[in-house]
Amino acid sequence: MPSKNPEKLTNRIRRLRFDHGEMTQQALAERVGVTRQTIIALEAGKYVPSLLLAFRLAVAFGVRVEEVFQYEDGS
Amino acid sequence: MSATQKYAWFNLAVIAGTLVVIVVLLPFLGKGALGGCGFLGLIGFGVLFFRKQPGKILTDERDRVIQLRSIILAYAVFWIVFVLAAALVSPWIYGQDGTIPVWVVQMSVFGGFMLVNAVMSIAILVQYAGGSSDAE
Repeated sequence: MPSKNPEKLTNRIRRLRFDHGEMTQQALAERVGVTRQTIIALEAGKYVPSLLLAFRLAVAFGVRVEEVFQYEDGS
Repeated sequence: MSATQKYAWFNLAVIAGTLVVIVVLLPFLGKGALGGCGFLGLIGFGVLFFRKQPGKILTDERDRVIQLRSIILAYAVFWIVFVLAAALVSPWIYGQDGTIPVWVVQMSVFGGFMLVNAVMSIAILVQYAGGSSDAE
């Protein structure tokens, strides 16, 4: 039976950008091969990326993917 | 604004322009005004928004998800309208034993094209505004 609270995926992309020399959204976008609009959508929690993009983001920040994305199962 | 959004706005502008041309010419040319549907050919120039530019990323996985969903929605709506038109509207207007004029059949092609492109473009713009929630 599905839980009352929906699953949630949050991320620390904005925080990590600032921790990496105030990297701009454009610079991050170019590094991971997406448009700046996609980075904006990711930071706003409006888009859940593919696994490949999630790993690319983690590599760009030099951290593990779990440090970029946090999953809450809602239960 | 992304290349896909520009493409969607361009499609809607061409469709709106085509409808305006038809409406303006209708009093003068009658059914001949339907030749204005030729303006829909301008949609072909939409690919120019996706010209490769060095060092610039025009589309990515999110754009592709949005495009795919919009195309699926557009064709779903088209089939619903097509089935309703064929099974309900045409017998209601022309009768079960009636005949459908050739110009109506011709117009249904252009109408279907406009419907698919309009629904796809609106769906693209809505998803960019609201945010698509996941990759596939």
